Amino acid sequence: MSANEPVSHLSEAELRVMTADLDGIHHDLTMPALKASLAEWTEDIHAQGDAGRDGDAAQRLLFDRRRFLTRAAGTAGGVASVALLAACTSSSSSSSAPASASATASATGSAAAAAGGEGQALSGDLQAVAMAASLENSGVATYMAGIKAATAGKLGTVPPAVVTFAQTAMAQHEDHQKAWNAVLTAAGKQPVTAVDPVLQPTINAAFAKVTTVTGLAELALVVENTAGETYQNALSVIKSPAGIKTAASIQPVEFQHAAILYFVLGKYPVPNAFTSVNLARPVSDYHT
Amino acid sequence: MEIDETALNGLIEQSRDTHADALRAAQEPLADMVDLGRQTRAGSGPDPDENRAFAGENRRRLASVAKRAGGLLAATGLIGAIADYIGSPAFAASGTDVQVLQTASSIEVLAVSTYKTALGLPYIGGSSANPVVKAFATTTMGQHADHLAAFQAATKSLGGTEQTKPDPAFVPVVNTAVASITKASPSAGALMVIALALELENIAAETYVNNMSLLSNANAKKVTASIMGVEAQHVSTLLAVQALLKGGDAADITLPPPVAKLPAAAGSVGFPNAFYPTTNAAPASQGAM
Repeated sequence: MSANEPVSHLSEAELRVMTADLDGIHHDLTMPALKASLAEWTEDIHAQGDAGRDGDAAQRLLFDRRRFLTRAAGTAGGVASVALLAACTSSSSSSSAPASASATASATGSAAAAAGGEGQALSGDLQAVAMAASLENSGVATYMAGIKAATAGKLGTVPPAVVTFAQTAMAQHEDHQKAWNAVLTAAGKQPVTAVDPVLQPTINAAFAKVTTVTGLAELALVVENTAGETYQNALSVIKSPAGIKTAASIQPVEFQHAAILYFVLGKYPVPNAFTSVNLARPVSDYHT
Repeated sequence: MEIDETALNGLIEQSRDTHADALRAAQEPLADMVDLGRQTRAGSGPDPDENRAFAGENRRRLASVAKRAGGLLAATGLIGAIADYIGSPAFAASGTDVQVLQTASSIEVLAVSTYKTALGLPYIGGSSANPVVKAFATTTMGQHADHLAAFQAATKSLGGTEQTKPDPAFVPVVNTAVASITKASPSAGALMVIALALELENIAAETYVNNMSLLSNANAKKVTASIMGVEAQHVSTLLAVQALLKGGDAADITLPPPVAKLPAAAGSVGFPNAFYPTTNAAPASQGAM
């Protein structure tokens, strides 16, 4: 990967000390709390049992595709966002193509409906968890493809700070995916390693047109806002308090990724006083 | 790197427009939500038929307001959310929820007053201020005022009294910090202001993340969820600015930033945790009345 030599007065060592301190806090305080929430959530899901199935109809209504598309079309969330959603609508009927997150964003797959944890008979909180895991896999796949393209010199000169951003954001999406999959496996289900089967083809199409770091950042921004808004919506759907804690701890992080991307793109980093749910993905993205 | 003042001013203006549109659009439905809460408190609760009529009327009103504003309103997220809240069952009063919302309001009151104080410093809001820092402080103060209005409206809708005073537990901390800041040099003072703002923003974000599992009212949850990510974005921006100031790179605080010049580690300084912590969350009743 090509990169400019940093000339800032702020030394790499100084910044690494700052980030190491913050990383220490993350591992000392955040992870134990998360593990406790996940364990509690697993118990809640076991307790939900068949009761979770009873709530399916109401939950699906909350995620009604027509409603969220109508809203998205009326927003100023950006042409790219609307185009992404519109493309998802058209692809939703034809796509049955979960791709492995490890296979990069260029992969779409074609037939294996049950591959990568897709196609399980999940309901209630577990279906929301599975959808979230596949969405995180799409996030990982997008960054992985971006890093691969940069390494191959396809995006021109890539600043080192952008490389770090992509690597760190990808690692955090991997952490999120692991958290969701921990809930699934604790409930006796398969982990979801497939990407979001509805969203991914559209990401792939957009990625195919990316030729610069700016273009990659624009695409990543849409992915991050989609993730943040999906979790915001999920907070109204997930029943278990422990599940709500988990989703609530992830939503702000996705919006933080978005803030830095806005900044890098020369846009104001906190564009709205309230975040919306216009781009939220429906639980039906996970195909049961 | 040269600061593109024209572009920056354009962005600030755009942000102001969106902010103003959001406020205009929010006022009417929020006022009606308050009326609904008043009805609930006065008698045996709103009549179901009246409630349906109320919901229909407000949907029409929201659509009309949104049309006038040319679609910018939806970008705030507030309008779509409010339209949903109106269509849902009326706010169900809950003592705990009111306390949680009052505490949230008290944090926002403190945030607004702190940014206002900071903007009175010449190196934050005056002629010697970095334009990006000044724009951030100004815009963020406005966003916290929006959050305060939303939390107060939600409190009243649940039958509670709106909190207008700052969180008593944090006031001494802010006062002590402000006293030190006023005695400091501009360079040291700027770092102290950023540190104080970071502390308040993190408290706000962590409190709201924590509140998500405490709140029982669906609409109160939606309001809180739409705000906590914004506080986290304030944190990210402040962390980035703080890193540049600590490194003596104040000139690099520009929009867009000189990305190519920045060291690699700058790319991750704005989002240190994969999962947002809640260790500094304010207790739910700390700012309650």
